Amino acid sequence: MKVLVSGAGGYLGRHIVDRLLAGGHEVRAIIRPTSPVPTWNGKVEIFHADLREHDLAQAFAGINVVVHAAAATSGSEDSQFATTVVATERFLDAMAKFPVKRLVHISSLVVYDWSRARHAIDETTPLHTNFYDMGGYTIAKSWQERLVTRRAAANSWDLTVMRPGFIWGPDRALIAGMGRHFSGGYVMFGPFTRLPLTHVVNCADSIVKAVENHAAVGKIFNVVDDDDVRVWRYVREYAKGTRERGVPIPIPYFVGLGLAKLAALTSRMLFGPGGKLPSLLTPRRFEAQFKPLRFSNRTLRDVLAWRPPLSFAESVRATYTPIHVAVTSDRERIGA
Amino acid sequence: MKKLIGVVIGCGAIAREHLTALAKLKNVEVAGVCDLSDVRAEATAERFAVPKWYTDYQRMVGEARPDLVHITTPPGAHYPIAKYCLGNGFNVLCEKPIAVTYDQFLELKQLALQNNRVLMENHNFRFHSSVRRISDLLESGRLGEVVDVQILLSLDIMGKDSPYLDRNVPHSASALRGGVIGDFLPHIAYLATMFAGPAVDIRTVWTKRVQGSPLPADEFRGFIKGERATAYVGFSANAQPNGFWLRVAGSRMHVEADLYTPPRLSVRRLRSGEPALANMLDGIAETRAVLRGAVGGLWRKLAGTSSYDGLGELILRTYSALETNARPPVSLEEVDEAARIVDRFTRPELRL
Repeated sequence: MKVLVSGAGGYLGRHIVDRLLAGGHEVRAIIRPTSPVPTWNGKVEIFHADLREHDLAQAFAGINVVVHAAAATSGSEDSQFATTVVATERFLDAMAKFPVKRLVHISSLVVYDWSRARHAIDETTPLHTNFYDMGGYTIAKSWQERLVTRRAAANSWDLTVMRPGFIWGPDRALIAGMGRHFSGGYVMFGPFTRLPLTHVVNCADSIVKAVENHAAVGKIFNVVDDDDVRVWRYVREYAKGTRERGVPIPIPYFVGLGLAKLAALTSRMLFGPGGKLPSLLTPRRFEAQFKPLRFSNRTLRDVLAWRPPLSFAESVRATYTPIHVAVTSDRERIGA
Repeated sequence: MKKLIGVVIGCGAIAREHLTALAKLKNVEVAGVCDLSDVRAEATAERFAVPKWYTDYQRMVGEARPDLVHITTPPGAHYPIAKYCLGNGFNVLCEKPIAVTYDQFLELKQLALQNNRVLMENHNFRFHSSVRRISDLLESGRLGEVVDVQILLSLDIMGKDSPYLDRNVPHSASALRGGVIGDFLPHIAYLATMFAGPAVDIRTVWTKRVQGSPLPADEFRGFIKGERATAYVGFSANAQPNGFWLRVAGSRMHVEADLYTPPRLSVRRLRSGEPALANMLDGIAETRAVLRGAVGGLWRKLAGTSSYDGLGELILRTYSALETNARPPVSLEEVDEAARIVDRFTRPELRL
């Protein structure tokens, strides 16, 4: 099978390519012209292009499956929208001119409306209907999935949507769900809250399983690992692994949410609906980071018989051992 | 009463500022937004409850027949879009810089005059709260005569994630003369003329402190001999922290404002009596101004006030002028003077 991977120079993209190669697939990887090419020893066909600008037509020639992993993870709201959504629009326009029908899209758990989730998030949880008061990443990923779904329907593509939780791994272990880390301390909002973690190796493995298995067509999969890992434990491993020791400062979730709601109420009274607060004091954004919920990978297990290759303990070892793959900085990743 | 109709062409970050300001106007209806990207146009329409979105601006203005077209595209597209709109009888409010070259602007000016249409460049800082207070001090005579003007716009355009340094997709302003600094020159130009008068002569210095960046220059200084006073102006990509300082030295008063952190305005006035006492009084006044500015700045931030201070006022005044057939808040001659100065800022023969 010949697979085209967009965002192949990115953190997840590189691991997807590695896993595809390990599975014996041919890979064409889209890498930004100024981004460093990972060491694939000539086994991967490199297609240099930035999805926002360059001609993408020939990227799809001879391809059986497309994995769309390109997205911005930082930058201003406008820049993330351009890099994630407008780029996807160009990418899908080019794809529509070729006979390839199979598309695996990498979305995110942020597309769910966490404030409407009751006890758990699964594939039936309602999506955001109004996400413009959320952060730039949520706006961009929500629009991206909306666009992909529409285009897939219009072109009768065989679509699979993967929605990973917090993707972590070597050099990328600091995640929003931990709370806030400052020199000397870790503020945890809800220390016993479960984290929807997926180690980058596990996440890439689930995506390749979806590429390989036709049963994934038409399905949506939440991607989280098996282990029940709470904030406290994750922060402890992080502090140990990175040697960034700090005083743990646990704050009960409902205290944090209460403060956010009080701040929001005060803001509304003083400034009306136009008032602006930082994300920690915006109730919906606070919930989207810290709400105590359960997360399930049951659909992945049932449909694709997926089991994460790495347990949490193995993921910790793979992440914090000194020998790991060199990764590019954020700045290089966005090609700046 | 029939509402005035506005449309917005280009749905990037600055368009959001225009649409936020437009949403506050009761007598204006935004009939459509347009962008080359269908999805960006739709997302903008959804966010601001605009009924229609387009990817073809000619179709949009043809259907909506707007009273004012807001052009918020990258600079290279301003000229052809403004030319089409003016040529077809529509008023235009265009983002800065209004055109890539002065000759293009002159062509647009001619078209606006021929068709009796409004052509304005976004000079939002003319209506910035601090600038208006300085203007009031000048008009009331308290500042005295303007002797010198200093403007320094300091912005970290080479920082992490800066779109100005994106080598994969060069920033739209990088094609301007002077590179991306050219994007900021109109603000500097019209503020200088507001207080120093039309430029009689200009000299400039362009330098590059950080080698290896894609910017042709990261520092700019200009010295303007104005009809009323001199002005020393600049843009710095290296001086930190960010700020947009305007200092006006008058014959009776020094006034200084950071236009990025309104409402801070510090004033030092000419006083009679014991100099030590005058210094102390000035110090107390300055401390009060700094404190008021700091608290006011935080308050504005929490209130969600746009960092594009003055744009709302400019747009409000523009629609009011259209409604009453009055003079627009920025005249064509004022836009011309700013465009002429920007042109001279970037002329090689005027560099020292």
